[in-house]
Amino acid sequence: MIYEVSVGERRLRVDIAADGRFLVDDAVVAAEATEIARGRQWSVRLGHRSHEVTVLTHDPLRLLVDGTEVEASALDERAAAAARGASTKRGGRHELRAPMPGLLKTVHVAEGDVVERDAPIMTLEAMKMENELLAPARSRVVRLVVGAGTKVEGGAMLAVLEESE
Amino acid sequence: MRVIRACREIGIRAVAVFSDADRDALHVRLADEAYPIGPAAPRESYLAIGKLVDIARRAKCDAVHPGYGFLSENADFADAVRDAGLVFVGPSGDVQRRLGDKTQARRLAHDAGVPVAEGTLAPLRDLDEARREAKRIGYPVMLKAAAGGGGKGMREVASAAELDAAWRLSSGEAAGAFGSAALFVEKLIENARHVEMQILADAQGGIVWLGERDCSIQRRHQKLIEESPGPSVDDALRERLGDAALRIARAAGYVNAGTVEFLVDGQGAFSFLEVNTRLQVEHPVTELVTGVDLVALQLGIAAGEPLPFAQSDVRRRGAAIELRVTAEDSLRGFVPATGRIALLREPAGPGVRVDSALFEGLTVTSDYDPLLMKVIAHGADRTEALARARRAVRETIVAGLPTSLAFHASVLDEPDFIAGGYDTSYVATHWPRRVAVQLDDSAVTAAALVAVLAARGRVARRPVASPDGAWSRAGREEALR
Repeated sequence: MIYEVSVGERRLRVDIAADGRFLVDDAVVAAEATEIARGRQWSVRLGHRSHEVTVLTHDPLRLLVDGTEVEASALDERAAAAARGASTKRGGRHELRAPMPGLLKTVHVAEGDVVERDAPIMTLEAMKMENELLAPARSRVVRLVVGAGTKVEGGAMLAVLEESE
Repeated sequence: MRVIRACREIGIRAVAVFSDADRDALHVRLADEAYPIGPAAPRESYLAIGKLVDIARRAKCDAVHPGYGFLSENADFADAVRDAGLVFVGPSGDVQRRLGDKTQARRLAHDAGVPVAEGTLAPLRDLDEARREAKRIGYPVMLKAAAGGGGKGMREVASAAELDAAWRLSSGEAAGAFGSAALFVEKLIENARHVEMQILADAQGGIVWLGERDCSIQRRHQKLIEESPGPSVDDALRERLGDAALRIARAAGYVNAGTVEFLVDGQGAFSFLEVNTRLQVEHPVTELVTGVDLVALQLGIAAGEPLPFAQSDVRRRGAAIELRVTAEDSLRGFVPATGRIALLREPAGPGVRVDSALFEGLTVTSDYDPLLMKVIAHGADRTEALARARRAVRETIVAGLPTSLAFHASVLDEPDFIAGGYDTSYVATHWPRRVAVQLDDSAVTAAALVAVLAARGRVARRPVASPDGAWSRAGREEALR
């Protein structure tokens, strides 16, 4: 299977052949990879160069390469093609999501309210700070997903707003 | 952990408390005795004064060390400990009250002849007074919680237009964190360095300063890097800061370890900021430079012993720097991160100290402070200390959740930081770094191979994703090859 790989700004095509050989950008690479910690860390020798690569996080993929942190991705060709076709934009509709995990302290609006741009919608208490989540545009509050006093994860949907004239 | 270590060396039995969230924590396992104190929410556990004192009595403790979080600057706690017939390791409740109210502390410093930033010397009555005072001293100003500390309830206000929102947020934060919404304003000193002076005072009147720490590398008033000596502090300024710190401590009747914080402007003029009436997170920097054990000395002072040395005995050797590794994603604007420590390698070797309570399998939650580990490097001079810090960061692995390590690695290589001429605006002006990550071709190739191996490994571990069992097995075998 051929993978489209990104490491920081770099793009590479990596193929692990059926016989276990590595091909990078169609050239065979003399590499020896030892898995040190299951699914987490590999010692890689390329020629005589020694590298230690650790998977810091999976989603998004973040690697520690000899002490340097770098974002990376590896998609097999089919998944890469699918990802290019996807689109998540939906005009006029805003999903307000928690920028970080925390405690939803206050909800400043009710469903149906029309709020001005930058009006505070909710206050999220996270890591010693109160963060006011502001309306991205003049909009109507379509739905409040969670109420005050709720602990939310980072990325959790909090409210749905619809731009209004 | 730090306190348990000192106790063990002196031969004192250590009793720990833990919330439901910390049952597996390292301090529980290393203490001689450990008592549950309640649910994860600090109000019902680590901030519950009554419960803490009860446990201390039940465990037949002689003294209580408050650490450097939660109740470490709570005068009522210090009083409650004393009233229970126990020794509080730190200044008395009265001294803490004198210094804990920031406006009162400003007055005290002013009366002791120490310069303070222009601003109000009493809490503001209302928003109207805040508007008037801010206008009088001139924007930009800092709006601060009178009962504050640790950056909570503190906001920079650039203009009158921002004051209303800042007032609302800061008073809300202050009320939540300190139980008092009182605020005051002071003139913002631009391009200032945050320099603090470590002091020790015994009950017999013995008092010394041990040297400064520059804590200017901060983000939203949370310190990320501290070092000593301060790169901008010369011998003359150090003497003046030490003298000012002692004057404030004497005026307050201070006993035990404490830190007097100052802002120093580009011309070397300084003004008093606040006193931290406790051990500081960054105390190891001073311990490495002076060779003293601050926690052991705290315990000695609390036991009524005089300081074992005088000012003229204090020797500072070389330079030290501390990196606060936090559960914050420095590559994504420092958003708080949670997760399980999947792999851990703490640095070691010459001149490197690690204060950490991490272990593989620990789940990092957003319940408490994001501090994960402190890496402190010491060298004969700043150049060697930085080289050791750089080397230590390269060895460090904390996998399983995003951390601040990328920030630390980057700053240690950044020319302005290396030159030492930075101030508190450093993080805002230098981060995120615009220079792309530098990896040579060989490292990129190695990373790319691992990216593929990791992706395949994950497919193999989730057989549901691939109904074809034979295929999964092949994938797994290949990944292990």
